[in-house]
Amino acid sequence: MDLTPDSDQQAFVAATADWCRDNLPWETARNRPHSIWHEIEAMGWLSMTSSDMGLDHATEALVFAELGRHLAPVGMLSSAVASRSTGSAGNAALALTDGEDSKGKVRIFDPVDTSRALGLVGSMAAIMVLPPGIAAGPGLDLTVPMACIEPAPDFTYLRDPVAPLHLQLLAAAFAVGTAEAVCDMAAEYAKLREQFERPIGWFQALKHICSDMAVRAEVARSQLLFAACALDAGSSDAAFHVASAKQLADRAAIENGRANIQVHGGIGMTDEAYPHLCLKRAHLLSFIAPARRSVLLGEAA
Amino acid sequence: MDIRFSPEEQQFRQHCRDWLHDNVPAEKRPMDAADAIDFDKAWQQRLFDAGWAGINWPVDYGGRGLSIVQQVIWLEEYANAHAPWIGANFVGVNHAGPTLIMNASEAQKEFHLPRILKGEAIWCQGFSEPGAGSDLAGIKARGRIEGDELVINGTKIWTSFAHVADWQELVLRTEEGSQRHRGLSWVICDMHAPGIDIRPIRKISGQIEFAQVFYDDVRIPLDNVVGGVGNGWKVAMSTLSFERGTGFIADQVKQTQEIEELLVTARATGAIKDDCIAEQLAQLRAEVAALRAMTYRNISQVVRTGQPGPESSVIRLFTSELGQRLERMALLLKGPEILDFSYGDDDLVAEYLRGFAATIAGGTAQIQRDIIGERLLGLPKSR
Repeated sequence: MDLTPDSDQQAFVAATADWCRDNLPWETARNRPHSIWHEIEAMGWLSMTSSDMGLDHATEALVFAELGRHLAPVGMLSSAVASRSTGSAGNAALALTDGEDSKGKVRIFDPVDTSRALGLVGSMAAIMVLPPGIAAGPGLDLTVPMACIEPAPDFTYLRDPVAPLHLQLLAAAFAVGTAEAVCDMAAEYAKLREQFERPIGWFQALKHICSDMAVRAEVARSQLLFAACALDAGSSDAAFHVASAKQLADRAAIENGRANIQVHGGIGMTDEAYPHLCLKRAHLLSFIAPARRSVLLGEAA
Repeated sequence: MDIRFSPEEQQFRQHCRDWLHDNVPAEKRPMDAADAIDFDKAWQQRLFDAGWAGINWPVDYGGRGLSIVQQVIWLEEYANAHAPWIGANFVGVNHAGPTLIMNASEAQKEFHLPRILKGEAIWCQGFSEPGAGSDLAGIKARGRIEGDELVINGTKIWTSFAHVADWQELVLRTEEGSQRHRGLSWVICDMHAPGIDIRPIRKISGQIEFAQVFYDDVRIPLDNVVGGVGNGWKVAMSTLSFERGTGFIADQVKQTQEIEELLVTARATGAIKDDCIAEQLAQLRAEVAALRAMTYRNISQVVRTGQPGPESSVIRLFTSELGQRLERMALLLKGPEILDFSYGDDDLVAEYLRGFAATIAGGTAQIQRDIIGERLLGLPKSR
């Protein structure tokens, strides 16, 4: 039993952080250039999770949490799952169907240089063929181009039973990263911003908001790593652990995102500052493979 | 990273499970304090005789000298087997013992440690005072050095097991006029010494589980100082870091049992059909799972580096508040029957009321949040 990253994993996370700092700066978060997808492919992010690479879920969770910290494109989630489950690497947009069935509207995120999208239909993972030349623009999450298609295009279910759990795990990792990023952002601001002639982080009322953010992030990260290991070990309760990770990560990302705006005060209300980008990302992530209550309560067959 | 235990560890787990299966007493720990103390001592002696007391204590003082992971496995199996609460041996085994291991002289260790492990000596704590709670450095109780003796005057409060204890871990101001953390000493006080007056305090649950202790010219040997005169703060803090290693295992297993019992109740009564209750139960089940994940991460950290990380204070805060949420949910599912509570009963209402201590004793939730903000996030110190 060991839930700490080994030296290889630590090196992988450090390399990811370096790449993110160079390629995913906050200044371009809401207007990432198309070329970012060439960088992503060139770095091997899109083939990294293919089954012949043999990367375990624990390492994936660590790396995707780091990507999530920098508001990396959500299309990386669907691409990673498609790469492992279909055997064909390359970009796959992320599809969110409207409710349980596939007939209604479908929202497509990051439909860049690709003709396929991956998402959940009911509790199964499925691949859709995208019509050519769909126009994408910003939705609530200003960092991700989105297109709406209605009715939904044809899809094929993926046979891999792990695919939905894989998507849920990686989306949870992104949410953990978001929760941690905003916790750090709030703490940094609370050290700099002064009122009553001292940093606002000196006041317990503000300090404790930040402490609660750290607790939520720590709780979510712990469960994420446990869930990834449960999936790697093929545990019979892996689905419950992954669902728990998603539940806690979503809550941490949204609650921390809200708290971060409060800590920033008036600045937090402005379009120019970054806190709102994180909160909006958290809301988007909460719709990607959300935790099912029946699984959390141990009722699902 | 791997959540699986090694074959040797699994074998050890089976060994624990088998022994507990054959030896956990069928009768419950008695409610009456006098009966409870006999029960606690007998059970501790039985654990010691079978080699289960002090699993990670040094072999020289009656322990087994095993790894922290084996300690974790034992504690998990102990809770799974519904083995008795450690009761009156709590302070000795979990607090005073570890402090002595880290700070005491050979003579002190040789005398006290085996007695603690065998359940022969009961300990209580003497840290808090009426004027020194969260602000522990405000301690006023004093020990005047007279020759080879300490003469103690003052008062301590919230002392659990004071009326049954043989010894007390007592933090005193031994340097007159000293301020705050300076001039304090950690001493072993004989609770049978003349001049000690114990006044029990009733809790909101109706139970009498702690007391205020008064000292009127109580004389103890100067040799009873642990870790040197004037080093009391350092000695007291060393215990806190030890405490944060494995201290949460039993809570975590207990909370796993509690949430599963709550689910059974909610299904039996149909309460689970209420969307709001189902959502809360789902959240609680996820949180209890995360507590195990956090505990394992913390233990892994100790195995790797020899020290629990600063995240320990996060576990402490999260566990205490999660426990209270579970107790609150149990109350909600019980409905108006809780109004029939009879003082003296040890049921879920008593547990709910006693449970308020979790965010007050041993560092309030507010102090924990200060520690997290300052040590983990680097925010400026408010105090």
